[in-house]
Amino acid sequence: MSTADATTPVVEPLRPIRSGRSRNHAEQWSWLFMRGSGVLLLVLIFTHLFINLFSGDGVNQIDFAFVAGKWASPVWKIWDFVMLVLAMIHGGNGMRLLINDYARETWMRKTLKTLLTACVATIVVLGSLVIFTFDPCPLDASGDLLPGVPTFCEDVR
Amino acid sequence: MTATAEAPTKAGEVPSFDVTLRIQRMDPDGTPDHPAGEEYWEEFTLTMHGTDRVLDALHKIKWDVDGSLAFRRSCAHGVCGSDAMRINAKNRLACKTLLKDLNPKRPITIEPIKGLPVEKDLIVDMEPFFASYREIMPFLMTSGPTPERERLQSPEERARFDDTTKCIMCAACTTSCPVFWTDGQYFGPQAIVGAHRFIFDSRDEGEWDRLEILNDKAGVWKCRTAFNCTEACPRGIEVTKAISEVKKALNTGAV
Amino acid sequence: MTEHEYDVVIVGAGGAGMRAALESSQRAKTAVLTKLYPTRSHTGAAQGGMAAALANVEEDNVEWHVFDTIKGGDYLVDQDAAQILCEEAVQAVLDLEKMGLPFNRTTAGKIDQRRFGGHTRDHGKAAVRRACYAADRTGHMILQTLYQQCIKQDVEFFNEFYVLDLILNDDPQSAEGKDVAVAGVIAYELSTGQIHTFRAKSVIFATGGAGKVFKTTSNAHTLTGDGMALALRRGIPLEDMEFFQFHPTGLAGLGILLSEAARGEGGILRNSEGERFMERYAPTIKDLAPRDVVARAMANEVREGRGCGPNKDYVLLDLTHLEPAHIDEKLPDITEFARTYLGVEPYTEPVPVFPTAHYAMGGVPTTNNAEVLRNNHDTIKGLYAAGEVACVSVHGSNRLGTNSLLDINVFGRRAGIAAAEYALTTEGYDLPADASALVSDQVEKLRATVGGGGTERVADIRRELQATMDRNVQVFRTSESLAEAHTLVGELQARFKNIAIHDRGARFNTDLLEAVELGFLLDLAEVVILGAEHRKESRGGHYREDFPTRDDKNFMKHTMAYKTKDGIRLDTKPVVVTKYQPMERKY
Repeated sequence: MSTADATTPVVEPLRPIRSGRSRNHAEQWSWLFMRGSGVLLLVLIFTHLFINLFSGDGVNQIDFAFVAGKWASPVWKIWDFVMLVLAMIHGGNGMRLLINDYARETWMRKTLKTLLTACVATIVVLGSLVIFTFDPCPLDASGDLLPGVPTFCEDVR
Repeated sequence: MTATAEAPTKAGEVPSFDVTLRIQRMDPDGTPDHPAGEEYWEEFTLTMHGTDRVLDALHKIKWDVDGSLAFRRSCAHGVCGSDAMRINAKNRLACKTLLKDLNPKRPITIEPIKGLPVEKDLIVDMEPFFASYREIMPFLMTSGPTPERERLQSPEERARFDDTTKCIMCAACTTSCPVFWTDGQYFGPQAIVGAHRFIFDSRDEGEWDRLEILNDKAGVWKCRTAFNCTEACPRGIEVTKAISEVKKALNTGAV
Repeated sequence: MTEHEYDVVIVGAGGAGMRAALESSQRAKTAVLTKLYPTRSHTGAAQGGMAAALANVEEDNVEWHVFDTIKGGDYLVDQDAAQILCEEAVQAVLDLEKMGLPFNRTTAGKIDQRRFGGHTRDHGKAAVRRACYAADRTGHMILQTLYQQCIKQDVEFFNEFYVLDLILNDDPQSAEGKDVAVAGVIAYELSTGQIHTFRAKSVIFATGGAGKVFKTTSNAHTLTGDGMALALRRGIPLEDMEFFQFHPTGLAGLGILLSEAARGEGGILRNSEGERFMERYAPTIKDLAPRDVVARAMANEVREGRGCGPNKDYVLLDLTHLEPAHIDEKLPDITEFARTYLGVEPYTEPVPVFPTAHYAMGGVPTTNNAEVLRNNHDTIKGLYAAGEVACVSVHGSNRLGTNSLLDINVFGRRAGIAAAEYALTTEGYDLPADASALVSDQVEKLRATVGGGGTERVADIRRELQATMDRNVQVFRTSESLAEAHTLVGELQARFKNIAIHDRGARFNTDLLEAVELGFLLDLAEVVILGAEHRKESRGGHYREDFPTRDDKNFMKHTMAYKTKDGIRLDTKPVVVTKYQPMERKY
């Protein structure tokens, strides 16, 4: 009698899905990443700011020696590396969404996204190089320590 | 341009006032002053009453001043969803917006809803909007033998999706969404509301088919929680909340 | 011009049209033509519920429902049709539930039911809970659910197509016994101004009502009686058009509907003295008397000076004794209407209400299988009608609340099945070469009036028509008021020949279509008035002050109005009586 009740459990979509529709979960992962990395970045950045700007002598303490002193510890090296990578991917992904929203032409979208990826990659690579190849006790041409290096350099020498 | 068809105010009648409507117009066939397809603004000053709605003002223009003004309307009390338009830069139903609530001292701007192609004056092509709705499979999906009597559902289960059953498909939410304005691929809030109504219906078994569709790159993850849709909904549906519930279902795997 | 060919063409995508489409599209190639989008149809404005003797919350049975329907219709109901309506009601509600309609539920999880006007236990002993409902938006849910099923079945819609002519193979007023059949319809596409011809083996009219003949109405602007008027113009009779239902509780001055469910949930009507006046008019079921009784009582209170407000021109619907939570759960939309449109807070203030033109009991006469009759015996092959446009007649002279949502589902379904099955047995008839000539001619003539030609405005004529109908043909009618309306409508028809429109354009020319629709309204108003003049009795929704009682001896029969070369000719059709002999109607 009824028309509707002979339903089979599997219902095929009535019309072909619009072109360009993906069926992977990339956007869901992207969405989750943004939330997860956002929370993590809050902790990372605010701790970073607190240590650098409030604790000890505050903003006045920042000089080459302070940075070198921090990076002498692997904890801070990893801390800053994680902060660098998450911030760049988080920001880059945000930019990607903006490009998707506002760049109407396909070529424009592609160009912008290529540029964005290049920027993110360059900054992450350069930043990583700085963090991991950092020398806290650089020497001048004559082999003496440069002025302003941390005091522990004397001991190390 | 003033049209005063009504008799002077009698005792006990609602007071009248003058109001200016600034309407965005477009004639696909062209007029002597405006080539086909050109968008332009036209102002009309009318004498209206305290109980009049924007739709009454539009009718007064159409019936007494300029019959070529084109807009959709039907029920005139906010249940058919025909007359969503952008009134003072906000999406509303013309039949549910009282003129006196809009500060009639200043001109009231009226534009077609944004993000859908304008066809004439305030009329837009609704097909992309309905196409999105059709894609989310908006019908009950069940398995197993059909019961002889009704499928049982507790009042609590029924209340779970009550809010989204109120949707009248006026497109006020979808066309208020900044993501929809720039990305025509996005399903838009209404289609998600339409899916929500079934996803959270205890009788339905197609929730994962729909959730999978909304997991698409043009799906719920496009939502930036701007809350424009919730504000625009003339039925008071908490649209953004419904979208968030769909996201949550996708993330937790639980409906 | 574009030509189309279908087995079944359905005109109208409200409840009846889409219910028919669900049946027909499973069986035959079907197109649905609608002048709106399906979800805009006025079925969506129905609020209170859909009657069916499910007996989910208290004892009830189909026979009581049949009796209430017949008594509610003041015995002008065709009793065999009422029997079908009420018997199939239970399955109709269950079908909708299985399609996914979100009815309100009892604590046991079944479909909840509530009281409604005129629905009683055991032949009038007390009000019974028979209306299945979804808050106060049952019609909205029905429309949505049917549309959703149409999407599932991939029903083919032609949105914003105005059907402006019906093509038959012969004159329906030709001799009895001769075969007259449908050939198709002619439609005007709003978006392009193009004319389309649809050859069809079956055509179903599901075009709804004609409430816009009145000024104060709960009906949509688009309810201009298109189907009724097209049928009339093509020689098909209209039945019982004088019976128009005035819903008691329209928002005062606006006509926006406040569901009878407000009274079903305990709302009370009061006059300026605060009196619950319905106790005097219907001592047993009081505020839940049928609509004609309540509307008359309200109009009478106002007439006798007990109206409220500065002009003493309305009464009050009092919900203030109900719990706000209860109101929010059961009547959320209508209380919002009161807030939005009148600025009245129903929790604490009574709402101003007055009767509003609501429903045409009459329409295109059909058999119980929705086949359109061309006289008292012969059907037109392949032509069907269902819903408000049709007169089966299950509503007689006054429809009970919740019986219309039932009507569209029961007879929409029947029409869909019958139309498809008939279409599969016939080759159909070819449209004549000049099938669209009348419509093209009409459209061209109207376009030619832009900037010259006529001197009359469509809006002026429509306003005057609606004003005279409100003044003279509303709840109370007299021979004088009807004569005045008759003269005025005649004048308006003459002036209509001299109209001019503004919009010359081809695309979205709603100006042109409003003129066409006014033509429909004028034709129908004349039939309403003539029927009312001729029916010198009071019955159901038709009340003649000069003939205040029911006269079964002379008027226990349907009115049939035919359009002929010499104007409208009135005839009668016997009422089908099976088991309930007419009795005095008391509540």
